[in-house]
Amino acid sequence: MASKSGSLRRYLVTRLLLVVPMVFILLTLVFVLMRVAPGNPILAALGGHLTQAQLAVRERAGGYDRPLIVQYGDYLGQVLTGHFGTTLTDQRPVTQVIAQNGAATLELTVSAMMVAIAVGIPLGMLAGRMRDTWVDAIARIFGIFIYAIPVFFLGLLAQLLFGHILNWLPTSSQASVLVQAELQPHTNILIIDAIIDGQWGDIPDLLAHLALPALCLGLVISGVVVRLVRVNVIQTMKGDYIEAARARGLRERDVVVHHAFKNALVPIVTVTGLQAALLLSGAVLTEETFNWPGIGNELIYYLENRDYIAVQGIITVFALAVVAISLLIDLVNAWVDPRVRY
Amino acid sequence: MTVAETLAEGDAAPEVLGPAGPVAGKPAPGGRRGLALLLAARGLPRWLLWTGLALTLLFVVLAIFAEWIAPYGFNQYMAHGVRFPQQGAPSALHWFGTTVDSEDVLSRVVYGARTSIEVVLLAVCFSIIVGVPLGLVSGYFGGWLDRLLVLVNDSIFAFPYLLLAIVIAFLLQGSVGGGVITAAIAITVVYIPQYFRVVRNTVLSVREEPYVEAGKALGARPRTVIRRYVFANVIQSVPVVASLNAADAILTLASLSFLGIGMDPSVAAEWGYDVSRGIADAQAGYWWTGMFPGLAIILLVMGLTLVGEGLNDTLNPLLRRPGYRRVVLPPVESATAAAALGNGVAGPPAVAATETGEPVIAVSGLRVWYGSDRGPVKAVDGVSFEVAPGEMLGLVGESGCGKTSLGRGLLGLLPEAASCDGEIRFGGRNLLAASAAEMRAMRGPALGLVFQEPMTRLDPLMRISEHFAEALHTHEPELSKDEIRERSLEALGSVGIPPTRFDNYPHEFSGGMRQRIMIALTLALRPRFVVADEPTTALDVLVEAQILALLSELKTRTRAGFLLITHNLGIVAEACERVAVMYAGRIVEQGLVPEVFARPQHPYTEALLASTISLSTESLRFIPGSPPDLVDPPTGCRFHPRCPLAMEVCRAQLPARVVSGTGHVVECWAQCPPESIPPGGDARLSTKEIAVADEA
Repeated sequence: MASKSGSLRRYLVTRLLLVVPMVFILLTLVFVLMRVAPGNPILAALGGHLTQAQLAVRERAGGYDRPLIVQYGDYLGQVLTGHFGTTLTDQRPVTQVIAQNGAATLELTVSAMMVAIAVGIPLGMLAGRMRDTWVDAIARIFGIFIYAIPVFFLGLLAQLLFGHILNWLPTSSQASVLVQAELQPHTNILIIDAIIDGQWGDIPDLLAHLALPALCLGLVISGVVVRLVRVNVIQTMKGDYIEAARARGLRERDVVVHHAFKNALVPIVTVTGLQAALLLSGAVLTEETFNWPGIGNELIYYLENRDYIAVQGIITVFALAVVAISLLIDLVNAWVDPRVRY
Repeated sequence: MTVAETLAEGDAAPEVLGPAGPVAGKPAPGGRRGLALLLAARGLPRWLLWTGLALTLLFVVLAIFAEWIAPYGFNQYMAHGVRFPQQGAPSALHWFGTTVDSEDVLSRVVYGARTSIEVVLLAVCFSIIVGVPLGLVSGYFGGWLDRLLVLVNDSIFAFPYLLLAIVIAFLLQGSVGGGVITAAIAITVVYIPQYFRVVRNTVLSVREEPYVEAGKALGARPRTVIRRYVFANVIQSVPVVASLNAADAILTLASLSFLGIGMDPSVAAEWGYDVSRGIADAQAGYWWTGMFPGLAIILLVMGLTLVGEGLNDTLNPLLRRPGYRRVVLPPVESATAAAALGNGVAGPPAVAATETGEPVIAVSGLRVWYGSDRGPVKAVDGVSFEVAPGEMLGLVGESGCGKTSLGRGLLGLLPEAASCDGEIRFGGRNLLAASAAEMRAMRGPALGLVFQEPMTRLDPLMRISEHFAEALHTHEPELSKDEIRERSLEALGSVGIPPTRFDNYPHEFSGGMRQRIMIALTLALRPRFVVADEPTTALDVLVEAQILALLSELKTRTRAGFLLITHNLGIVAEACERVAVMYAGRIVEQGLVPEVFARPQHPYTEALLASTISLSTESLRFIPGSPPDLVDPPTGCRFHPRCPLAMEVCRAQLPARVVSGTGHVVECWAQCPPESIPPGGDARLSTKEIAVADEA
């Protein structure tokens, strides 16, 4: 076929180029945010603990006495070379924080996304197919209800039920103390680490700890997925080619599954990817609720300790992650839908 | 819009992704009409709306009257010198129990309502005040400003909302303190992009409306037009977005408080903060401290979301479903005129003299009715005709005369709300009596349908080869893959599509080519009867000529019967052997094309022919009046309000059918022998009476 791979390649290049302005804007946004408060990070973090002179020394050392525009340029330069600074409170390089805790957040969010998709897509398709029946009504109300539950409240309920009352599952941490001592951190995604090391006995423990956080976050996200899938299926079923397919005498099951569902899923990829922002927000709350050692948890800790540099670094990484995810989604979408290439 | 099209509408892809799901950004009716729609809402939308309003109202009442409703203060930990129990279970004095700091949970829930409503109200107002004007400016002025704002907006929108709120709240608290304003501002920033986007979309869609262009061409100042329409539309879409935003904002506020950077606990009670303490309590089994605040959050958020969803469903015309439902067909009026009269009157029309043998399809007395709020829509109201093998019958009529319903009805593709009766004889049986499964099996190998819009009739994710393979495999599963390929290529070849394009996707073809592919796809299954519903209306003239030639050639070669539905008399003249003229659900005249076109017997046919345009036309001629309402058509002959020959009897009774020589059938009193008209019935209707009848 003519330029199928060529057009995909062209799309890739164009899409990558669009990343640049978006990253730029987000970084500027982060910088502006962090300078909104009067004073500077050193003052905010350590003001009140040190004398004026000591503060001045640190400010100069950190370069906070230079004009803002110079600091901005510096910040951009640092980010683009991969330097996100060192935290004030515990002197860890921010990149290390990201690597260690980020992995845990990744584990949580990916698992939650899988739950959301596994629950949301079938329910949404069912609801869309049986529009205006009681099945549909229940699915819609489920979607609304689930979205209305704050993930931390769902966590509370889960902890009460599965932890306190039934005592089936652990309600905090990523792994029990023994297991944590055993495992070697390779990727910091403990399940993968366990597989790498062949520590199969640890895996049930890890899964048990992952279960409640992933289920809670996943369920909340699934509410949104159900409603989006439902609307998409309904929209697709009204398509002209669906009517044409029926006019050719195709079996209803074939029409629904091969034509409608497949087409309905195409925008789902994008739309589910858009939930990444929602997912990250929810992850912060989930980690706090279950004491999951992820990046959200660290963020809250640094916020409480007014560690501006850490906060700035983490937020920057989040911003970049968002751009990367949206890029990924667009690429997958282009691969799936042959119409989307430039 | 025809009934079929209206029924096909319904949910359209929403434009904007709201926080709780999709929100349509399209204009909605406002004011009194909006209120009427709200009250008329039926089914699920009504339940959604009223439940939501009830829940929201409950919390608003709690918020306003907190001092009177709550038994204690939100921070109060003792009364009458006695300290409240610490983490005490629900009791008579403390219905919801007490917290770890000995505060009454019920009171905190009530005051928490006030905090939530206050903050969210502020936040939504701020967001609207900032977001709406920005969206207006951006959409109206366009250019680099618009592009910049959109990029910034999308970037903010893409960022995890909670992190944004966290950082802002954190920074503001450092300088301003943790009060209601701080929380409101933090939340505001998160939601400004929503309003910006919705408003901008509204402005853009209004700007591109044809009436704005037309207004400009006529010299109207575009600014006035835009301002008026944009303002009205924005006012109408904002409430939906605002409700959904408010719902989300409650969650954001609760989340901030949960994390400890929301409201300062000494300043006000907040549900999220209580839940965070409740989690610690849960480990020890004190469930009530977190449960009740959490439930409050859920109920209020649900209430607001239901209001937003309900408003969306009810007000948005794209999402509203018209009230079509099945209707019971009354028995046919006993052929009043036909039975009473004698000479020159006949039942079903004779087959065209040119063909011998059985017609491919014979329709008699077909009715297709839809039930609506105003009464049954009689789209097809007693239609009879036949189509012979190798013959193309042209079905002409104005928009809304029932042609599409007729075409779909023959194949059993009518929506659920349609009721049919009559008889469709095909292949020795009555299709109307066939089961759905039998009809499905016949669609394809026996009955075919070529649609009007070729651009959207092929599955965009499937190659052409896969379309063919699927259709052939469904109906002839014994075919091998090679045979399928051979049949497909043969069909494509006969419509002029080269085999090299066999594996392409639909979007790689032009409109004309897609229509040819559709025809090939239909004919590959070798049907005996094909309905072509305005197959060339969406194509340009040159392509139209090609398609018509193609259809003629296929008709001759395959000896299938064709029903060509169109409003274009020129096409009929060129491609059809016989023609049937349809008006208001009935066929008023049918016969051989040369005969009918040269010597039209029905005034409507005559007027149609007279109004066609050619290169030699010097002045426009049109038929006065407008097509009748299919719910309440004129009595007697449907055409009489617009007919120059109208008589008394025309208003009173349906005309009898008159048959002449070569199967030329017409339904018109003017053609009936004078003795068949009841006495006094031949008095001409005055123009005034006609005009009145038209308006009746």
